[in-house]
Amino acid sequence: MKQTQTQTQHRPKRYGMAIDVDKCTGCGSCMVACFSENNVPFKQDETDKLLSITWLRVYKISNNEKFPNTEVAFIPRPCQHCAGQHEGHSPCVSVCPATATDYSVETGIVSQIYTRCFGCRYCMAACPYHARYFNWWDPVWPAGMEKSLSPNVSPRMRGVVEKCSFCFHRYQQARDKAYAEGRREIREEEYQTACTQACPAGAIVFGDLNNPEHLVHQIVKPDIEHHYRSHNPRAFRLLERLGTNTKVYYLSSRDWVRKSGDNYLPGEPVGLQGKADTHG
Amino acid sequence: MSSNEKHQTDGRTGDAHASSPSDPRSGPYILLFFILGLALSMVVGWSIFPKLLYSQKSQPIDFNHKLHLEQVDNGCQSCHFFREDGSFSGSPRLAQCTDCHAELLGESENEKIFVEHYVATDREVPWLVYSRQPDCVFFSHSAHVFGAKMDCETCHGPIGKSESLKPYEENRITGLSRDIWGRNIAGFKQNTWDRMKMDDCAQCHAQHDTLHDSSVQTGRDACFVCHK
Amino acid sequence: MKLSRRCFLAFSIGGAAGTALSPLPWKLTDDLSIWSQNWPWTPVPPDGEYAYINTTCTLCPGHCGIRVRKVDERAVKIEGQESSGMNPGGICLLGLSGLQLLYGPTRIQAPLKRVGERGENRWQTISWEEAIEEVAGRLNDLRSKGQPQAVAALASEDTGTVPQLMKRLLTAVGSPNFYRMPSMEDSQAAVLALTQGEEGFVGMDVEQADFVLSFGSALLEGYGASPRMMQAVNRLRADGGKLAQIDSRLSNTAAKSDIWLAPKPGTEADVALSIAHVLITRNRYDHGFVSQWAEGFEAFSAMVAEKYAPEKIADRTGLATDQIISTAIAFADAKHPLAVYGKGKGQQPGSLKEALAVNALNALAGSINRPGGIQAMAGYDYIQWPALQPDDVAAAGLQTPRLDQKGDVVYPNPGYKVHRMIEAVGAGSADLQALLVAESNPCYSLPGADKVRTAFSKIPFVVSFSSFMDETAMQSDLILPNPIYLERYEDVPVKAGTTRRRVGLCRPVVAPLHNTQHVGDTIIQIAHAMEGSVAAAFPWTDYATCLKETLSDAWETLLEKGHWEVPETTHAAGADGFKTASGKFVLMNETIGAIYLADAPLPAGDESEYPLQLVAYDTIRLSSQYVGSSPFMLKILSDTTLKGQAGFVELNPETAAKLNLKEGASATITTPAGSADVRVHLDEGIRPGIVAMARGLGHTAYDGFLAGKGVNVNQLIAPVEDPASGLDAAWGSWAKLAKG
Repeated sequence: MKQTQTQTQHRPKRYGMAIDVDKCTGCGSCMVACFSENNVPFKQDETDKLLSITWLRVYKISNNEKFPNTEVAFIPRPCQHCAGQHEGHSPCVSVCPATATDYSVETGIVSQIYTRCFGCRYCMAACPYHARYFNWWDPVWPAGMEKSLSPNVSPRMRGVVEKCSFCFHRYQQARDKAYAEGRREIREEEYQTACTQACPAGAIVFGDLNNPEHLVHQIVKPDIEHHYRSHNPRAFRLLERLGTNTKVYYLSSRDWVRKSGDNYLPGEPVGLQGKADTHG
Repeated sequence: MSSNEKHQTDGRTGDAHASSPSDPRSGPYILLFFILGLALSMVVGWSIFPKLLYSQKSQPIDFNHKLHLEQVDNGCQSCHFFREDGSFSGSPRLAQCTDCHAELLGESENEKIFVEHYVATDREVPWLVYSRQPDCVFFSHSAHVFGAKMDCETCHGPIGKSESLKPYEENRITGLSRDIWGRNIAGFKQNTWDRMKMDDCAQCHAQHDTLHDSSVQTGRDACFVCHK
Repeated sequence: MKLSRRCFLAFSIGGAAGTALSPLPWKLTDDLSIWSQNWPWTPVPPDGEYAYINTTCTLCPGHCGIRVRKVDERAVKIEGQESSGMNPGGICLLGLSGLQLLYGPTRIQAPLKRVGERGENRWQTISWEEAIEEVAGRLNDLRSKGQPQAVAALASEDTGTVPQLMKRLLTAVGSPNFYRMPSMEDSQAAVLALTQGEEGFVGMDVEQADFVLSFGSALLEGYGASPRMMQAVNRLRADGGKLAQIDSRLSNTAAKSDIWLAPKPGTEADVALSIAHVLITRNRYDHGFVSQWAEGFEAFSAMVAEKYAPEKIADRTGLATDQIISTAIAFADAKHPLAVYGKGKGQQPGSLKEALAVNALNALAGSINRPGGIQAMAGYDYIQWPALQPDDVAAAGLQTPRLDQKGDVVYPNPGYKVHRMIEAVGAGSADLQALLVAESNPCYSLPGADKVRTAFSKIPFVVSFSSFMDETAMQSDLILPNPIYLERYEDVPVKAGTTRRRVGLCRPVVAPLHNTQHVGDTIIQIAHAMEGSVAAAFPWTDYATCLKETLSDAWETLLEKGHWEVPETTHAAGADGFKTASGKFVLMNETIGAIYLADAPLPAGDESEYPLQLVAYDTIRLSSQYVGSSPFMLKILSDTTLKGQAGFVELNPETAAKLNLKEGASATITTPAGSADVRVHLDEGIRPGIVAMARGLGHTAYDGFLAGKGVNVNQLIAPVEDPASGLDAAWGSWAKLAKG
């Protein structure tokens, strides 16, 4: 009974990310950190990007102006961990017939259980962000290279879908440590994703959007009443008007960059004005 | 088939009538064969199948938990300890054993083998772990031992009282120990430690009112609690 | 009793019922589902005790502090060190993929002796004793023939105990021919010597600058230590400072800049001098510094006034006059402006005139040896070994001129002109009998890579110390594999623009995987096997002893902290005066004037035949020097850089339209140095008339992850000797592109 009380008292977490597009240099270190952390397989030819498994992918976008007025920016895209219009109504979770992908109200993380997945790929079709990847082949590590595999993340097999987990195993490890030290709560710095930690430009901030002490909350200033949309004028979310209510926020001072986050009609103002609130 | 058979059949119930014709004296035989089939398959399913399903392996050396438990100060955690980062060490490494067993301490044959084969050659003992789970399982010893203050017996049984290691029965299909499914082939259990499957985790969590409702899919614990 | 069909059916039904009542089907279903979820061929990484080991990354000159996560004896992850003092946290993708190099398939597993033809890749494993004997024998032969100078060595660095041991071996043998792979360090050293009279290296205080004017330096793509540079630039912009990038292509650095100028490649010196013109004519230079500390200001002013008014150079550079003026004014408006040079990652020396011109902007702004400016850093002098006692043979050999010396340039500074050595050997005009190559891959990474390979074929004895089967190792006779940085001890002095003199320690994270031997040990053993005065020059039993003795008191610090802050010796600060003859910063004197008079080094070729300019660019997603790109790096390479086996060139849609080329079209690029089949990627972010190709592809060695993919741009580029310094200033080539 006591335990139930503490559970109801503590506030659910909502892990999220703020990526400063103006700081991102497009180097791709986040991607490699992710591969290395999460046992992401690699093949000799990875140039067909439809078949290349990259939980996190850095997209290059352009303002499409002619030389020399061309500008480009980089959008690192992990799984957006959509909450949907009511908590957990993520596009992928709601279509999974195998209960292989799930939304945790406790952390806000969309999970993917590989052993549960039977590879129907409905979730891939449902994901508006192309954040999910299918294992068309069994992963093969050249002899000796399997030595660098981490025991904290299960290698996947042929026929299952995989995606970014916000390095959930790091959350588990942080909790293990907290339990061992007699704590129930983990500290901000104890749970950081591999990409956040690696980013040489310091462009990624990760933490609990519900916790005002966390930097990510301070940057995003989420409006909890309105699907966590940001009060930061520099912030935007990808395809925000779909109502996916994602937990990955992007920051840019450049208008065209913010505009590229969603589909706008010519002349339409950037942002959530109007219909977004009634959508979904 | 003879005409007699047909005749006999005609006198029977409509139920039997629907069946193919048979010998007038075959009624009891049919039942006999049914029982025979039933019995045989029951024998196969309950007795032969489990024997075929599991291969018996013996541990590299025998180990007396009871004896060791009497010698150490900190109970199970003397050897199966937690590291500083909250991770659980599992079965002890050679280095730990050699803390005490660098040289022979007693007269046991097993200790002699241990010192000669493993300590002297600096080889890890390839213990067969009864509680090894598939790779997709994440289990936090820290949460259960420190968080929920559970004792080891609840899941692992009175292994600390054993004087000898039981044979390791390996499932030929899954490669996991029989202890995961439980000794009882039907999966019935009497004690909390008799089985270690996902349902057993869930059952215990339900009983102790620690069931969360964080999963949107199931209304129970989210998958990313026990899976990786 | 007869067995009837009914009996059989009854038996079957009974059997089915019995089976259903037994655990068999349910248990079997469960087990099979578990099996199908855990296929035995899917690897299960063993768990164990976690540990972190701090060490230093040596994969690029940035030398970041890293920590390696281990599970028992396996290294499973490389991460950046947080607040280690080495770097500000974060790590680049090359550093992150170190474990793929460690465990990868291209490691050389034992000493190898060539049995087939050169480059045929047929080898025989030999013992270390045999290998050492062979090298020692060859070197002794040369000495007994009185030709000790006919042995040369090529290393990736010239500071630190390992390069110095190699240099010492050559000196003891009697050869002056020790070379380091060319890099911007050469130009920087020349600039420091010419303007400040300082021997050392250049530090750039980007952390405290508020305006950075970069002349093609890939500040955000691997110039210096990536995390340091990226965070410094982001800090600068967050604080309201600005980054101006001069680059003919919208590189990632240009994409992040506040001002992007895209002049014609090769005209950067003109741009710099015309910015100087604006600063001087508009009276926007630092009068205090110039009047008190600058020598030759009048002459310098006269020169820029005569030739470098923005409107005069507009045509040549392709920049509008007001672009130059506004950039100059933004530079002058800043409190701590900093101009940096060294194109790309700084792996080429570049033009000395350009380096001097850019540095002159720092002088005009007073950004010399002050916070936010250029710092003259004293070189590392912790290696204090007893002086060598060369015997007569060695003494005679040491008197011979180095193979790269011609003395026909304005400023024959002591940089390493490797291309000249290669040219002389290729032309047969130099007698080179033996070459030792360590941690470098000249057969791939030098401009004119094909010619380098030809030159190698003329050297009778090539020894490679490579850890990987790279292009140069393939061209050698003997490979004495070095363990990689995660398996060995080594001192790693940091340069790469740092403003804090530091020596990092790389230390064994895992036990050596293969039958390798530290190159330091190998050198010491070769020397000992040669006996006599050569052996006497190496009083250490092994490398470990040498390293500990050399570092003496600092060794403990290194072991404990992983790096050692080298105490500052006398600093060439402005207040103490400069170390030049006049005690001033030399903006202009006779030598510098002559350098400014020299033409910009231009690639060979005729614009009428080759209407385009090929520019080789550096991307942080590819490694183009000794270390090959990892499978992870290739995995994230854009499909407009590499698709399948085909490499791409980038060009402006306007240029492509003229050539009738569409996105993704196959084409043949031809330069005076060679030609290659490529595909084209159209990009608005590149100056019309330019074709850009990434460095780091087109490997012929290594493994299937790297070999045979794309084109090595160094095959299309020939070395271009800088008339001012004699260093290789190649940045590209004239080129033509045709539908292929």
